Amino acid sequence: MLGLSIKNVSKIWNADGLNPVPAVSNLTLDVAPGEFVVLLGPSGCGKSSLLYIVAGLEKATSGSASFDGIEITEPSPDRGLIFQEASLYPWLSVRDNVTFGLKIAGHTPVKRAEAAERLLKLVGLANSGDKRPHELSGGMRQRAALARALAMRPRVLLMDEPFAALDIQTRARMQQHLLDIWESSKASILLVTHSIDEALALADRIVVFTSRPGRIKAEITLDMPRPRDLRSPEMIDFARRCEALLAEEVEKAFKEQELA
Amino acid sequence: MTDGTVETRQDGVGRNMQQKPRNPGALMRMAEPLLWSLASLALFVGAWEFAWWRGWANPLLLPPPHIFLANLPDQFRFFDPSGARAGALGEGGSIWSVLGVIGWTALRVTTGLILGFVLSLATGLAIRYFRIFGKLSLPLVTMLAPISPVAWIPVAVFVFGIGNPPAIFLVFIAIYFVMTLATLSLIDNVPRNYIQLAQIMGCSKRQIYRHVILPAILPALFVTLRMNLFGAWMVVLIAEAVGVGSGLGQVTMMARNTFNASLVFFTMTLIGITGFLFDQALRLIQRKVLWWVGPGNAGGL
Ligand SMILES: Nc1ncnc2c1ncn2[C@@H]1O[C@H](COP(=O)(O)OP(=O)(O)OP(=O)(O)O)[C@@H](O)[C@H]1O
Ligand SMILES: [Mg+2]
Repeated sequence: MLGLSIKNVSKIWNADGLNPVPAVSNLTLDVAPGEFVVLLGPSGCGKSSLLYIVAGLEKATSGSASFDGIEITEPSPDRGLIFQEASLYPWLSVRDNVTFGLKIAGHTPVKRAEAAERLLKLVGLANSGDKRPHELSGGMRQRAALARALAMRPRVLLMDEPFAALDIQTRARMQQHLLDIWESSKASILLVTHSIDEALALADRIVVFTSRPGRIKAEITLDMPRPRDLRSPEMIDFARRCEALLAEEVEKAFKEQELA
Repeated sequence: MTDGTVETRQDGVGRNMQQKPRNPGALMRMAEPLLWSLASLALFVGAWEFAWWRGWANPLLLPPPHIFLANLPDQFRFFDPSGARAGALGEGGSIWSVLGVIGWTALRVTTGLILGFVLSLATGLAIRYFRIFGKLSLPLVTMLAPISPVAWIPVAVFVFGIGNPPAIFLVFIAIYFVMTLATLSLIDNVPRNYIQLAQIMGCSKRQIYRHVILPAILPALFVTLRMNLFGAWMVVLIAEAVGVGSGLGQVTMMARNTFNASLVFFTMTLIGITGFLFDQALRLIQRKVLWWVGPGNAGGL
């Protein structure tokens, strides 16, 4: 089977310790090639945990995740990950950050320079290659991180609240940017967010999580063309549904915390 | 910034190297630390001179700067530039002989520092890289770390005899164990993100150490080196006074033995100035070569 396939995955942090934390519970989810899936859920419900398992950085306590039918056991350049904070290496120039993976893969400097030029242009940083990461704004850093992930030509992009630290205007532009890149790259995207608007603007399919331990509460398929007008009656309707689903779970999470 | 210089500066990290001071404002900013250093020194000297003037400080035991700096050639003759022996004899007597003696001491410190820095870095990396080696050697390092370098003096003399090697060895010992432990703590504090990203990019363990962990810890490790610099200076003076038989430490010891208070304070002045310059030099290296900030590094350093 092509694409990403998550089968009955559970994750318990600290499983043999004194206080095990169940983060993901018996979750099954498929992402088709080229599909854009957004994970929406209350804070702490295990979205990042799931993403790390798919990235191969953490092991599932039970169940399995596979990609193109091959079980995921370790990280791979095929599955690019973008963190909430861009985490560029501060000792490298923006260009060297973007081509870091290519250097590791043994590409020649000439090839790397070409790739850097193409990628930096793609994310709108054509003039910033020589800059140091700390000289970039938050949005620019996130774009550089995106370019770095794209350099590896990933089949799946895993994005953990990539735009959470940005202001609303920058965010909207980054989302548009991401959609353009997604359409041209044909990669699948699995993106985590808190923001209902972001989910509605981007997703082919929104997966709403329950509170911890995360399970799938609902799936909403959106087949409207992009860019979408979030103020149209249809979209407002979707937004209301998401809000209601999330509100229930946030309520539950708060109750649980009060009991504990 | 109000005076029109373009500065890209972020929480003390982004020092822009190509920046040349383009107006008096920028010049002032560069000269300011120097002025404060001079003011700080002047305050101290002033207080001392005042104490002498009021007769509180015995000029024989606590001669103020204008006395112990008065007859420089007289002091110079105690410095033998050959580095072999210090004494009133020899070919001492000029400013060059003084610089020669300082040079020898500085050379010992520098060699010890470089050795200590490189080897502690290597040891720290090896302890984390090779599990079994780490388990075997970490307890030993932790046990040896609290032993004062002074306690190593006899060992240094037994093993290396007299001359440069024992002094260098003592400087080395003074920083090696501490810096090894610092390296370990820095490695453990490299942001997880950095390493996970490298894994995703396909780095092997060796590549992660080489391309991520090493550059991530170098700046903060260098700060640790700077903090241990003065410790190294103290040790080299002790080593010279006790065993080596030359250098600033030996001059101080001789001055003590001959009750030459002026010479004591003159040498102390030299030590202070040289130590200060060393610190400045290390700062400069840090700023030019290791300008990025590592984990656990306070931006102000
Ligand atoms: N490395 C870890 N070790 C132990 N517990 C962890 C670890 N990572 C996450 N957890 C716990 O697992 C639970 C789920 O965390 P996770 O980061 O997956 O949530 P999340 O949905 O991404 O939350 P947020 O939206 O706030 O980022 C939390 O209770 C968290 O404390
Ligand atoms: Mg998270």
